[in-house]
Amino acid sequence: MTARASARAKLVALARWAVFALAALILNFPVIATFVTSLKGDAEIATNPSLWIVAPTLGNYAAIFAMADRFDILHFLSNSLIESLLGTIMAVVLAFPAAYAIARYNFGRRWLLPLVVNLRAVPLIIFAIPIYLMYQQVHLLDTRFGLALILCLVNIPLVLALLTTAIAEAPVEIEEAARVDGASTLVLLLHILAPMLLSSLAATCVLSFIYAWNEFLFGLMLTTRSAVPISVGASFFFAASGGGVRWGVASAVMMLATLPPLLLGLLMYRQIGRSLAAGAVKG
Amino acid sequence: MAPQARRQRYEGRLLVAPLSGFLIVLIGLPLVADLFYSVSKIGFENLRTPQFSGLQNYARSLSDPEFWAAAWFSLRFGLLVGFLELAIGLTLAIFLAPLLSAHSWLMGILMLPMMVAPALVGLMYRLILHEFVGPAPYYLLEWFGYFPSFLGRGNAFWTLVVIETLQWTPFALLILYGAYAAIPSDLREAAALDGAHGFRRLMAIDLPLILPTIGVTFFIRFIDSFRVFDNIYTLIGAGAGGSTTSMSIYIYEAFFKVGDIGLAVAASMVLLAASFAVLYAINRLTSRAAAT
Repeated sequence: MTARASARAKLVALARWAVFALAALILNFPVIATFVTSLKGDAEIATNPSLWIVAPTLGNYAAIFAMADRFDILHFLSNSLIESLLGTIMAVVLAFPAAYAIARYNFGRRWLLPLVVNLRAVPLIIFAIPIYLMYQQVHLLDTRFGLALILCLVNIPLVLALLTTAIAEAPVEIEEAARVDGASTLVLLLHILAPMLLSSLAATCVLSFIYAWNEFLFGLMLTTRSAVPISVGASFFFAASGGGVRWGVASAVMMLATLPPLLLGLLMYRQIGRSLAAGAVKG
Repeated sequence: MAPQARRQRYEGRLLVAPLSGFLIVLIGLPLVADLFYSVSKIGFENLRTPQFSGLQNYARSLSDPEFWAAAWFSLRFGLLVGFLELAIGLTLAIFLAPLLSAHSWLMGILMLPMMVAPALVGLMYRLILHEFVGPAPYYLLEWFGYFPSFLGRGNAFWTLVVIETLQWTPFALLILYGAYAAIPSDLREAAALDGAHGFRRLMAIDLPLILPTIGVTFFIRFIDSFRVFDNIYTLIGAGAGGSTTSMSIYIYEAFFKVGDIGLAVAASMVLLAASFAVLYAINRLTSRAAAT
């Protein structure tokens, strides 16, 4: 390679880094700006809207907990945690056996799989109104279990598609050996297939948990007090002080609300990326 | 073979039964209720004693200019956002490919926007775009001496397009980069031997190979943006003179604000029919593409 060509290659590499940095900054700007604001005091927010912090403080985070008697962030966060976990577990429990039937027996491949996968493409608001009226009748409005059922429903298409692919790709020989030894299908699912697919199951659960945590429409419609998730509860803090919005406190609340999925995303981006790609290709 | 096939059918039924039951209750029943209410005169006061009203609700929703405005908003929004995300995502995927394949953690950083709840993104932009405390007006004023009224009647649509595009371009980037990186290297080498480099190789080899993925990505992002609700609701609601009413917002408002259940439900059914039409067309297209 000539000196000129290598200089040019270096320049191109530098340009790639610059484009990456710019893209990372612009795409993540909402989180960056919110994080910066959450570390500014009230007085500084009013005078300095830039991304530079003159006097960093954790006061806003402390202030959230000081108003716990009116707006209890831990209540919203624990609602979200329980509802998302419950919704994810239910989705996997319902979809895992069905995925097995589809992948191994071709049972339901013609009707169940397309039906469920296409569900992803249907606007959820269509089901929201009758579900609201139904919930009213059976007293599931504003309950954690009620919202968890919906979070499960929202995640079923993705979970079923991912698990069906995972099972189809797993080697069938071990299963056949276990069958010869007389293992029932239930034993097979729980003791052989589940451990074998542990990493796919984990990735599916993480993605499903993130979607559940971030769900908003049904949280807004179906909860009012006791089961409000943080995606809905976060906006309560905008009106918390009666008069104007306390932007520092609001930003701190938004950061806490975003932290769980953000951390999961940072730690497991590889698995999440694979699942998203698999879900997209199958869907 | 026959007993095994019979056993599999029997077991198959058992295995899909829980999921099927769940779907019948949470999708089937609501759909039946939707159909039933859509041909009834119904409000919150006579939920148990609706009166049959024929196709009146459908006639009302289809003759409501706001319904068509919302449909037009969602269609325009979905197409525009889908196209922008695809264009930016594809450009980034191809330009950054050498960097991303050498340092895969960079993708982790670019994927972060997708982890944030769209509802929270809407709230975050309340801060970012705020006249006095927002960094966006501050920097625009600093650099250009001017900032537009982001959420004003004429601008709100474009502001929302930018917000949605910035949050979900990473999705297009991720999927398209995956397809681009999976192109077998011997194909590229063969193209290089034939003298196809850079742009020509891109047009002749790379793009045709990832074309199906481009189509799927656009479809997914179009559908998701078409039904947009969360970030619009938390940022402005149906504000800006109704100029930001998406289909989902229209139905939500008809139900919760106006209490017109019949209208909301009829609009839902029209939306469902439209979704089916689109899905059917897509399935036909992809199966034809797979056949050739």
